[in-house]
Amino acid sequence: MRDVIRVIDVCKRFGDDEVLKHISFDFEEGGIYGIVGNNGSGKTVLMKCICGFLLPTSGEIMVNYKKIGKDVDFPDNTGVIIGTPGFLPNLTGQRNLELLASLQKKIDKSAVREAIRKVGLDPDMKKPVSKYSLGMRQRLGIAQALMENPSILILDEPFNGLDKHGVAQMHELLLSWKGNDKTILLSSHSQKDIDVLCDVVCEMDGGVMRCIRDTRIQSGRG
Amino acid sequence: MRWRGNARIITVFLLDFILCYLLTDKAVQFAASHETTMQIFEAFIWTFGDSNAILLTSLLLMILFADMPFITTATPFYLLRTTRRLWVMGQMVYTAIATMVFMMFTLLATVLLTMQNAFSGNRWSRTAAALAYSGEGKNLNLPSAVKAIEMSRPWQSMMAVFGLVLLYALVMVFVMLFFNIWKSQTMGIAAVVIFSGYGALLNPANIQKVFNLPDQLAYKARVWVGWLSPLNHATYYMHNFGYDKLPTLKQTALLGILLLILLLSGTVLAMRQYAFSFGGTEGK
Repeated sequence: MRDVIRVIDVCKRFGDDEVLKHISFDFEEGGIYGIVGNNGSGKTVLMKCICGFLLPTSGEIMVNYKKIGKDVDFPDNTGVIIGTPGFLPNLTGQRNLELLASLQKKIDKSAVREAIRKVGLDPDMKKPVSKYSLGMRQRLGIAQALMENPSILILDEPFNGLDKHGVAQMHELLLSWKGNDKTILLSSHSQKDIDVLCDVVCEMDGGVMRCIRDTRIQSGRG
Repeated sequence: MRWRGNARIITVFLLDFILCYLLTDKAVQFAASHETTMQIFEAFIWTFGDSNAILLTSLLLMILFADMPFITTATPFYLLRTTRRLWVMGQMVYTAIATMVFMMFTLLATVLLTMQNAFSGNRWSRTAAALAYSGEGKNLNLPSAVKAIEMSRPWQSMMAVFGLVLLYALVMVFVMLFFNIWKSQTMGIAAVVIFSGYGALLNPANIQKVFNLPDQLAYKARVWVGWLSPLNHATYYMHNFGYDKLPTLKQTALLGILLLILLLSGTVLAMRQYAFSFGGTEGK
């Protein structure tokens, strides 16, 4: 398996506060990686660094062999949810996703409709996003992350606001990606999300990351 | 940034209208008391031919754009599908268009406030002549300079004043955008305050007072200030109409455009290191 994301000795400081401390980790193709940790442990900052929204103070991050911040600003072929998903409030979900899809022109309207349907929303719904519940926005956020069939998914607390049924649906959707050589990085406060979905679990604590579970080794894949 | 229903934007435009009312009132009252009409753009020309009016209006833009660059919780989805350079260029285009809309509103407000007693033909009114030739303009602090009247006509003057004020406003907001991206929003506001303060303090009267200059040297100071102060570059009558060594309108335009190119390039460079923070500002 090739390493699709390489985090090499990454430190991130905000003033005197060192949020990431010499983190090195390789994320292999096809794995679902769970990142757990308390609030403020550095999970979101690490994900933002991988996405290129923040640049490391030192060290480097390679995604698909391209250095973030040098070869590319943001990783190619990557779907992301960071924080609460936001959209243009006056437009429908379908129109919002069409606008996003029009930037890269990788997919057409029917693929957008399909992505919306996959997350359990109705693409023909006339309601503007401002009238969506948090759970519906979360589903739409997942749809925008998946719609262009990216090879990497970076999901920071993607199940916030979803009810039990919604979480189960999203678990199913993400698991259906397993085996498609897709790589998923997922942070969640829910132990169940991590247990059901993740092959590898890493814990962030005070800016340090360590691997606490690797089911691939247990099953002889490591 | 969403404009409809946005309290800050509505407030800024309301304040601008009130400011226009207060600033144009002197000219309107003068015309009413002399029972003369005005050309429809004269109030704008006299009002925004004055550096203090330009300064006050441009400071409203600081409130309008204080939170640049415009980032919402939707931004990460767009960023992932573009580049930092393209994204910041979008911000620049938006800012430039919004500044133009604001300036158009200002022009329209002055037109609305004077239209009851005004004509649209391209000739100066009796009010303008009375203000310029009787010295009343000076008494009322309205820069209705004879040289402006003699060298140009109302529509052309309006376009020159509008162009100068717009150029000044664009330079000011792009100074703010550059510092917001390079350093922080606090530094962006500080940069605009310094930029405006520098222009406001660097005026011929202040220089003459501070250095106690005799009248012969005061003229030289006026020329120096005309070149060095961005606010004087934005002031119509502080230009060379063939009488003196002040900058010409073309020279001011060239300097302004060069400064804008420098600021925009600097912003694109600073963007490479910008740390995105996606606050909960959706629907702003």
